[in-house]
Parts: sequence; C-alpha cells; structure tokens
Amino acid sequence: MNQTITSRLRQRRRHWRWAFDTLAFLIVLLGLGWIIVEGAGTLHYNWQWYRIPQYLYHIEDGVFYSGPLLRGLGVTLELTGWSLLLTLIFGLTAALLQRSSSWAAHAITRVYVEIVRNTPLLVQIYLVYFILAPILDLDRFVAAILALAIFEGAFAAEIFRAGIEAIPKGQWEAARSLGLPSHAIHRLVILPQAIRLVLPPLTGLAVSLIKHSALVSVIAVADLTTEGRNLIADTFMTFELWFTVAALYLVLTTSLSLLISRLERRLPMHSAGH
Amino acid sequence: MPPRRPRFRQLDLLILVAVLALISYILYRVQFHFHYNWNWQLIPSYFARYEPGSGNWVLNLLGQGFLMTVRLAIWGGLLAALTGGALGVCRVAHSLFLRLLSLTYIGLIRNTPPLVFIFIFYFFISSQLMPLLDIESWIADAGPGTLKGLTFLFGPLELLPNFLSGLICLALFESAYVSEIIRAGIEAVPQGQWEAARALGMHSGQAMSKIVLPQALAKMVPPLAGQFISLIKDSSLISLISIQELTFTGTELAVSSGRVFEVWLTVGVLYFVLCFGLARLFGRLERRLSRYH
Repeated sequence: MNQTITSRLRQRRRHWRWAFDTLAFLIVLLGLGWIIVEGAGTLHYNWQWYRIPQYLYHIEDGVFYSGPLLRGLGVTLELTGWSLLLTLIFGLTAALLQRSSSWAAHAITRVYVEIVRNTPLLVQIYLVYFILAPILDLDRFVAAILALAIFEGAFAAEIFRAGIEAIPKGQWEAARSLGLPSHAIHRLVILPQAIRLVLPPLTGLAVSLIKHSALVSVIAVADLTTEGRNLIADTFMTFELWFTVAALYLVLTTSLSLLISRLERRLPMHSAGH
Repeated sequence: MPPRRPRFRQLDLLILVAVLALISYILYRVQFHFHYNWNWQLIPSYFARYEPGSGNWVLNLLGQGFLMTVRLAIWGGLLAALTGGALGVCRVAHSLFLRLLSLTYIGLIRNTPPLVFIFIFYFFISSQLMPLLDIESWIADAGPGTLKGLTFLFGPLELLPNFLSGLICLALFESAYVSEIIRAGIEAVPQGQWEAARALGMHSGQAMSKIVLPQALAKMVPPLAGQFISLIKDSSLISLISIQELTFTGTELAVSSGRVFEVWLTVGVLYFVLCFGLARLFGRLERRLSRYH
C-alpha cells in the first residue's frame, strides 16, 4: 500500500518534470527566435516573409506555376536521382572488384577509394569541372552528376562490401556445392540477400547525397542552393531565403529517412539463414 | 583453388588495358583536342618565393593557404571537440530539457547541407557575434610580442575576425557529428558500470566523469580521428565565405595565373597528402595502442 503511493508519487513527479523540461525547451526556442528577430532589428533588417511564397509558386488563372525555388528543388531531385544511380553502379563495381582475387582490381579500387576519401568534395568538384569537363566536353550538369557519383561511389563501395561480407559463409558453401559458377552465386544467392542489409546504410548515403548536391552550386548548376543564392543577390532577403532553402532541404531529407524506415519494417530482415 | 588462376589473370589484363586506354584517351584529348600546354615549373614559386629586396623567402599563396588550412584544422578540431563533447553529454543526460535541446541542434545540422548551414551562420556570426567580441580594439591594444604570437597562431591579424567567424562556423557544424561519436561511446559502456558507480555512492556527475567517460574515451578515439580528417576536408567549404585557406587561394591562383589544371591538381595533391598522411599516422597509433590493451 505504502509502496504504491510512493511509486505513484514518483511517477507524478516524473510527469511534472517532463512537462517542465518541455516547457523550458519551448521557452528557449522562443528566446532564440526573439534573439534572431531582435538581432535583425538592430541591423535594421526588414523582414519580408510575405514575399517568399511567390518564389515558391504562383497561381495564375487557376493554373499552377512553380517559382524559382521549386524549380531548383526539382533540379536538386533530378541531380540526386541520376547521381544516385551512377553511385550505385560505381559502388557495386568497386565492391565486386575488391572481392575478386585480381591484384589489378585491388589496386585500382584501393587508389579510387583512397583518393576520394582523402580529398574534399569541393576540390573534387573543381577538379571534375575545371579539368575533366573541358577535356571530355562535358556539360556542367553532367560534370556535377559525375563528381557527386565519384564521391559517393567510394562510400557505397564500402557499404556493399560490408553487406556482401555479412552474408553467412554457409550460403557461399551451399551455392558452390550446388555447382553454381562465381557470377551466378553473386547474382542469384548473395546480392538478393545483401540488398536487405545494405538498404539502411544506402538511405543514409542518399540523404548525404541530397546534402552534398548543394555544393554543385559552386559550378552554377541551377539547383535549390543556386536559386536561393541568385534570389538573395536580387532581393537581399538573406535570412528569409536561407531559412526557406534550409527548410526545403530538411523536408526532403527527413521525408526520405521516414519513407525508407517504413519500407524497411516491411522487408523481412532475418531470412538470411540466421 | 588452382584451376581459377587463369580467369583472374584475364581480369587483370582487362583492367590494365581499360585503365591505360582511359589515361591515354584523356592525354590524347588534352594534347590534340584541348591544346593545353603544361607549365609545372611555376608551381613551386606559388608555395614560396624569394624576395630580392629583403633577401629572404616568403610564403606565396599556396603556402599561405596550406598553413591556414592547418590552423583551421587544429583550432577547429579543439573547438569542435569541446562543443561536441558538451553536446554529446547533453544527448545522454537525465534531463529531458538538455536532450531535447541537443537533439534539435544535431537533427537540424545533420539534415541540412553544410553549405546552407555555413551561409546562415556566417551571416549571424559575422554581423552579430564579431562586433560583440570587438576584436579590432583588442588587437589595437596588444603589444608587439603578443601580436607576433597571435599572427603565428591565427594568421594575418587584419583577417582575424574573418578567420574566427569561419572557425566558429566550422566547429559548430562539425560538433554535431562529434557529439554523435561521444554519445555512441558513452552508450557503449555497459549499464553495469553506471550501477556499480552509483552503488559506491557516487552521484551521476562523478559516475560520468570518473567511471564512464574514461572507458568511453578509448572507444571514441578511432572515430574521432576519422572525424578530424573529415573536418580538414570540410574546411574547404569555408572558402565559400572568403576565408583564405587552401581552396580559396587555389581559386584565386587558378583565376589570376590561368594555370587551371596545374593549380587544381596541386591543391588536390596537397589535401590528399595531408589527409592520407594523417589517416596512416592515426592507424599506426591505433594499432600501437591496441597492443597494450
């Protein structure tokens, strides 16, 4: 009897504490917002949030037209989609080459991975755009896709390699004892199982691809960041536009994470002979 | 598996031929299509040049930029470790308030592009925080000895406010990633360690600082070393807000000298040498440490 009362009291105290903490958190957020507004006020910053929607979309005669920001978002998505495809190809090729027993394959993947992992993406973009693109006559959009895919491909290779190595040894032995040749083992037995394992880290890769795609604004590909920067140069609404751009990216990345985590739950995870 | 040998020999040959073909195609395009005339002799003079007037060597753009990148890495690493450590401890704290606050910060940073974050924060820091710190008047009051020391530590003093804004941006952004490493390290320490510490009568602060953190640190060192290398690479982003580090001076030099290919290749090699060298060094240290455990 006594115990139930104390535990109930304790629980009630915990609830109060949670409520108090949440309230304090909200107050801090409000305080930060106030600091931003006040700080902008001392700079005589003129907030013009009402002008933002027209840069997202406008409706004329009942017809929807997308503004520069939404168009930029579309370009970002297009860029991410293409480079994700190429990333997967690069990554899978590198992972399979790494697994083969050919020394040339080892050497080439090692050089590729080390170069990509030890230089900044920005410098890689400049290298592709200023050196490779003029030599091979690539347009800037293709150069951007290529630079992003080369960069993320090295990380994808690592993900694929880990995924393939995580498949239990029995699967290899069983496939080999059935007399399957090496490429058939990979294609029919190992990769279908590895896909489930690599899906969560590949989601992380896709999210980081979206984030890194912002960097191609340095070579003036008309993505979301470029459109934002151009609008800021035109309108001087620095804060409104950057906050909007950041919010758009945030919506994109978090919705992708949520989508995949829902997808993951529907895939049976432990069917790989555990 | 002896019967397999010949097939892999074939693969070797195939790869070598493909690589050679790609390289020779690119070289062919450079030579006969693009008509680029290489001039590598100029590059060393971009690192340091001899000044006939005073009779000594002075650092040129690439040398200055490289030194600035190293400074950014060291100070940024320290600052990111401090703020990231604090954030990481908040992330596993008892109080919901601290957890909510750190979670919001980390979530925001990890889900927006670094570039966008840096642009937003740069405007705030350079327009709000820097006037508050009032560095210029502080420098004006300093003696010549202090000035020399400061120049050695932070680079040219007339650029100090600029440098500090870039540094704070970089550290704030990097601290979100550091804090995740710290959190993972703390959570990897078995729950029994906490309980044992509490059973000995320590309060939670003592348990954290005396029992859990020392054990967690050993687990954090390898990923923190990797994050330090990431910080060096991410410091190239700071060039976009005009902090005069290696990528910025590279851009300047490529435009002013017109030696685009040579300059960018050199910048790439410099970053590679720095990051790859550090990665090898950390790897060796780690192996040596693990021998003692």
